[in-house]
Amino acid sequence: MKLHRRQLLKALGLGALSGMAVQASEEHARADVVTPPARIVFFVTPHGLVPNSWTMPIPDGASDRFSERALVGLREEELSTVLRPLHSFRDRILPIEGLSHTSALADIAELTRTGGDLNNHSVGVAHLLTGTRALQRPGSPCSGGARSLDQELALRTGAPGRFGSRVYGFDYVPNATVAPFSFLGPGQATPIVADPKAAYADLMGYYVPVAKGAPRDREALVAAMRPSVLGAVGREYELLAPTLGEDGRKKLEEHRRLVRELEASLGAGPQASCDPSFDRTGHDVTQLMRLVKLAFACDLTRVVTMVAPVPQCPELGYPAEATMHGYAHQSIAGATSCGTTFDPVAERAMTDLGVWYAKHFATLLRELDSVQEGTGTLLDRTLVVWLTELGTPTHAHHDGFTLLAGAQDFFKLGRYARYPRTLSNPIPDYPRIGPGHNRLYVSLLQAMGQSDVTFGMTTARGADGSEISLRGALTELHRG
Amino acid sequence: MPLPHRLCSRFADEEAVVVARSRHSSRGSRTNVANGRSSGSFPDRRMPSSAPPPSPGYAQESRAKRAILEVFATWQTSAVRRAFRASLLLAVAIAGASITGCDAAEPTEPAPAAVGPSPLRRMSNGEYLNALHDLFPEVSPVLPALPNDTVVAGFENAAEAQQPSDLRIARYETIANLYAAAMTRDATSVQSLVGCDDWGTPDKAEACASKLIERMGRRLFRRPLPLEERARYAERFQGWKAAIDFEAAVRLTLSAMLQAPSFLYRPEPWNSAGNGATSSASPTRVEPYAMASRLAFFLWESVPDEALLDAAAKDELATEVQVRSQAERMLADGRARRTLWSFHRQWLGLGRILDEEHTFRTPQIDPHWSPSSPISATTESRLFVENVLTPNGTFRDLLTSRRAWIDADMARIYGVAPPANTGGFAEILLPEGQRAGLLTRVAFLAGLSHRGGTSPPIRGNGIELRLLCRLPLSPPPGADLSMPTAGPSDGPKTTRTLFEERTAPGKCQSCHAGLNGLGFGFEHYDAAGAFRAQENGLPVDAHGALFGTDVDREFDGALELSGTLARSEVVARCAATQWLRYATGRAPQDVEEPLLEGLTTRFRASDGDVRALMLAIATSDTFRLRSPEIR
Repeated sequence: MKLHRRQLLKALGLGALSGMAVQASEEHARADVVTPPARIVFFVTPHGLVPNSWTMPIPDGASDRFSERALVGLREEELSTVLRPLHSFRDRILPIEGLSHTSALADIAELTRTGGDLNNHSVGVAHLLTGTRALQRPGSPCSGGARSLDQELALRTGAPGRFGSRVYGFDYVPNATVAPFSFLGPGQATPIVADPKAAYADLMGYYVPVAKGAPRDREALVAAMRPSVLGAVGREYELLAPTLGEDGRKKLEEHRRLVRELEASLGAGPQASCDPSFDRTGHDVTQLMRLVKLAFACDLTRVVTMVAPVPQCPELGYPAEATMHGYAHQSIAGATSCGTTFDPVAERAMTDLGVWYAKHFATLLRELDSVQEGTGTLLDRTLVVWLTELGTPTHAHHDGFTLLAGAQDFFKLGRYARYPRTLSNPIPDYPRIGPGHNRLYVSLLQAMGQSDVTFGMTTARGADGSEISLRGALTELHRG
Repeated sequence: MPLPHRLCSRFADEEAVVVARSRHSSRGSRTNVANGRSSGSFPDRRMPSSAPPPSPGYAQESRAKRAILEVFATWQTSAVRRAFRASLLLAVAIAGASITGCDAAEPTEPAPAAVGPSPLRRMSNGEYLNALHDLFPEVSPVLPALPNDTVVAGFENAAEAQQPSDLRIARYETIANLYAAAMTRDATSVQSLVGCDDWGTPDKAEACASKLIERMGRRLFRRPLPLEERARYAERFQGWKAAIDFEAAVRLTLSAMLQAPSFLYRPEPWNSAGNGATSSASPTRVEPYAMASRLAFFLWESVPDEALLDAAAKDELATEVQVRSQAERMLADGRARRTLWSFHRQWLGLGRILDEEHTFRTPQIDPHWSPSSPISATTESRLFVENVLTPNGTFRDLLTSRRAWIDADMARIYGVAPPANTGGFAEILLPEGQRAGLLTRVAFLAGLSHRGGTSPPIRGNGIELRLLCRLPLSPPPGADLSMPTAGPSDGPKTTRTLFEERTAPGKCQSCHAGLNGLGFGFEHYDAAGAFRAQENGLPVDAHGALFGTDVDREFDGALELSGTLARSEVVARCAATQWLRYATGRAPQDVEEPLLEGLTTRFRASDGDVRALMLAIATSDTFRLRSPEIR
């Protein structure tokens, strides 16, 4: 069932709208049909992927230059193991091999000299969406050193009645309450919601004031004063902030901005015709993916970050006393360090984990593809980005798994791309690397209609002294 | 056992490892989490002994303060400190030379203030919920979950990590509306809240509104409202009353106040009266109502009560004696119990047992475990901390006492008879020779284990990080962090043997000797925390060694280790540092070094008198004074 905004609000029990507001929003909705907005989902899965579970050979592909192969004509069994669940979307995906988390490598190289938390896992988490040097706080794992890409886009695409972003996800780093991939600013984790019910309530929480002529019980009248109360609250922040020192003033000014945003959002409501129904069955990950669809269909946000959980081993058919974390460290033959031992069972477990994530990713694509928008679907105008914080489960940072989907107007989809590893690794004696993921993020920014040419770290230095530029988009991936 | 020379990355057992690698990471100069200094600078001229803080109201220097300065003088003369200062002075000199062309004159800037900074603090989630509970004990609406506080160095109240978010603002609004609705649910509730029973005429309604604003403002904002602020709220009240009715205006006013900055944050007006401050750059006494809030949030994790606000109104929080008097009253109040628990939960990571990984334990892999064990273990720890430290317990008691408050769940793990009152917790003495203090309790032991197996490096790391305030080093890239297991033809082995074999290579040992040395001491406790004399049919060997402290020794088992740690200066300093961090919402600063030294000395000398330590912090300059803010 698809509802227009007025029907949606009625369905949500939020009452009617003023005629003026309806007119404005319907114009907006019609405009959306002509030019659907650009949207982005970051799908982050932990622990990296075993390379031989997802990479594919490229016939005649050279190792010293960019190469690619078409996926469109391939049978399911011709795809790599992890990509097989995406076979039905093979013409709309773009797996990318050879990208490096270069900023993380550069940070580790520097930290080795200067000190700080250089735990590979926490550095990987801190860098994944920030691409810049991690914030070091004594006594704490290192943290994102700047606003993350999703939050940068949230600031640029948020509007009254539309959240800048939603961040959904699950625990996976032992001892961290949440996996802090998304950052409002240096060391400031973006709140994350794991419970689909709470996430749905958040999405639908904007109250719409009672319109003239509508029945008014007392509760409705009180509720209609929410903007007035928030206005008063905002004024108090406005008055107090200038009386404080710099630190306090900044905090209160930001708080005031957010109160004003909430106030402005009340009554703005969903801006597009959409289906507000929400199926609360199935895995929590699946439910949250339905919410992503709902949020985009109703234009309640244009940026979502979703951190996938690490399943318990029995869910994938492995013993209860085992952990995916334990398997991760034993999953790649040839890695050597204190006592490292390769275990084929661990390799299989991590491959199964990758397949498990791929199935969820396929669900997300199906959900987005199920909503018609103009002459296409939501997926056509949604950039879906699958990333991992580690290059490999053994905590390397080169050769990270990257896969793009949707956004067919911007990226050349339906092919498998490979970048050459020709650059010096910032860490001595480590493998040579391909382009940095900062450059992928420049491509993502441009796909979202931004004109940035850098994001995060702009240059790094290889162990051989060479300069590694992290500027500019990965134009090989772009259309035209 | 030889002392290890720590040069390589330390391989700890999981990502929980918190790292700060010092370039010179030998035992004598390892980075200390307790210091938490970002600048690392400690130039001599900043020492308060050479530049005592102008401290209004402090003409008669207290005995305690003199003691601190004496201790500091001792500190200054130690060889290590001399070497440290010399190197820093050299660095400063070099830096100065590079800037000025080698003709730098003596520094001319005024001596920095002798108190740390006072960043604006927002209530932590715990403080916020405690405040709502204390302000409105008669209602308990079902609340949506708040976004987690960002934890810094284990603590949830770090001012530096309190940037607001859209989700938090939305939650505050929802919760304010829920409380406002609950507190105005019927006429009796409104009468009680407003303090009026007749608002039938416009004049009466206006008077009642004024009363509400004044009463609620004072409790929620922890200060009297100036005229213009009352006028703003009164005007809004009248508007809402005109739009709906008096009761609705009460509700909306309460909601607005619960979202106001003066409730959610702790702004501290600059005490322009100066209280004798000698210059605009000097620290000055914290304004009386702000002092009331400082005391309340530190000692109760909540808002001040009427008595504290009254003391502020009478300017009776001005002297050290007055502050001590109030603080002693507050520590005797039941609300101080939750602070004792909250601090130790955060400091010692006792909430770790509630992490998701422990909820998936099964009886098959942890025979003594049940789904309710994490909650029971947490409750047991809470009751232990609260009851042992109340009224006069010490930190030594926390590490050595066999007293326990257990339910049937914990009784099963401890191997003792369950309490007679089914479902409840009852006090017992745990078996002698098996248990003593927090480090031998389920929350600590199981929280620092994998499910189904112990990890001596994790437990060793827990002691290092939490009790010694040492930042362990990173595991090297690619290190195998999985649980070691015996090969199919090996025959039975103990966990200790497996880890000794895993970490036998020299590059592992240089780091693992210390971690394992601590962690092996806990091998009498399995992954659930149950005592074991044997493992896999083999006798347990719980001998270990403590390195790099003032109480280095070899020991046999966790009881000996606990007793040793209880008298360590390193541990006492760690406790003092973390208490200061908790009280101020920030890492201790260089300028607070003398304070820390004094706190440490007295804490250790008193066997860890926690209340005395809290009192000493509450009456310290850094707590009672504030420096001018950067504007």
